[in-house]
Amino acid sequence: MKRLRLFAALCLALAPAAAGAHHSFAAQYDANQPITLDGVITKVEWMNPHTYFYVDVADDKGKVVNWAVEGGAPNVLYREGWKPTSLKKGDRVSILGSRAKNGSNQINATSFKLPDGRCVFAGTSGPGGTGTPNCTVGRR
Amino acid sequence: MQGVQGVQKVQEVQRVRGAIGAALAVCVIAGAVSVSAQWQGYKTPGIPRLPDGSPNLSAPAPKTVDGKPDLSGIWQASRAVFDLAQAMKKGETVPFSADGKRIFSERRATESRDDPSARCLPTGLPVRALLRTPFKIIQTPPVMAILYESRTTFRQIMTDGRPLPEVDWPAWNGFSVGGWQGDTFVAETAGFNGKPWLDQAGYPASDALRITERFRRRDFGHMDMEMVIDDRKMYTKPWSIVGEFILQADTELLEFICEENEKDSAILDGK
Repeated sequence: MKRLRLFAALCLALAPAAAGAHHSFAAQYDANQPITLDGVITKVEWMNPHTYFYVDVADDKGKVVNWAVEGGAPNVLYREGWKPTSLKKGDRVSILGSRAKNGSNQINATSFKLPDGRCVFAGTSGPGGTGTPNCTVGRR
Repeated sequence: MQGVQGVQKVQEVQRVRGAIGAALAVCVIAGAVSVSAQWQGYKTPGIPRLPDGSPNLSAPAPKTVDGKPDLSGIWQASRAVFDLAQAMKKGETVPFSADGKRIFSERRATESRDDPSARCLPTGLPVRALLRTPFKIIQTPPVMAILYESRTTFRQIMTDGRPLPEVDWPAWNGFSVGGWQGDTFVAETAGFNGKPWLDQAGYPASDALRITERFRRRDFGHMDMEMVIDDRKMYTKPWSIVGEFILQADTELLEFICEENEKDSAILDGK
């Protein structure tokens, strides 16, 4: 199983590409609120118009909160080398993104940092949408 | 005993070798599948290639039997544009009418919260052409068909000589006819319903919209487009955007069913 996951992780392409978007980034997310979530995937929705990854994240007091992470369109990610099974329930990830304007536990993902340390583009149309993976800014 | 142990050791080595061999076979198969899964990476026939096998995008543009350029192929904008102002020629500005300016300002004030395409309704033709999602042109004598991956939509540009129709039921994509001016394919579209925004920034359109597209395939892998937007309710004069498309070799369109998991529109806040 671990080998399969490693294989899936290896399948993730490093070459970036610009994103698609079905809605205005700024209508939902605040580029001035960068955030990094470190947690464990609880659910993956590999569906159009956007992928969604749900992640359990422990706050400073150890309380676990489930965050919704919006990724790029699966079509965009698929051509980037992602597969529907690239990230699965139980995978530990670090995700850089922008927080939702409404203050909910939701972000738009810019990059995913994988367990092996590689940083991959998440398909955002917001900041970082030119495709350069960046996993170092705005740590939470 | 030693003999038995020796046999067991040989069997163990054989098992390990067999497991490695099987693993390698799986990797090869998986690799092969991943390369051409859903035809992503499948070598498109008829594409000129360089010695290393990569597509020769600088080769001459193909021609049909009647000598016209053949626009057929899968194309994608060379850069994503969500705001048409970024696709205008340098120094040009959008010639808003009073109504057009008012509507555009309202949409900017709410960060395009009410864009119909955020609710999975069709994107406007201008921004659809400039998304970073591919579209496929199928050129036949009576029709130039365009299959858009975006929202899994299509257009037919009739090339059999018919005129634009009388329209009593306007449409999201309008109605298109086209023909050749030298090596440039020119499409005229009218009969829009005024519902789609021209782009994600919120440039408006009305039922008076007419769009003229000029496509020129300058070589095998590159096609230029100029799109003239003429809507005298929203703008005081025609204005145009330009785009460049790159041939997408060794790929295929993917399904894009926007409604499958659309959950953002309910929580678009705007400013």
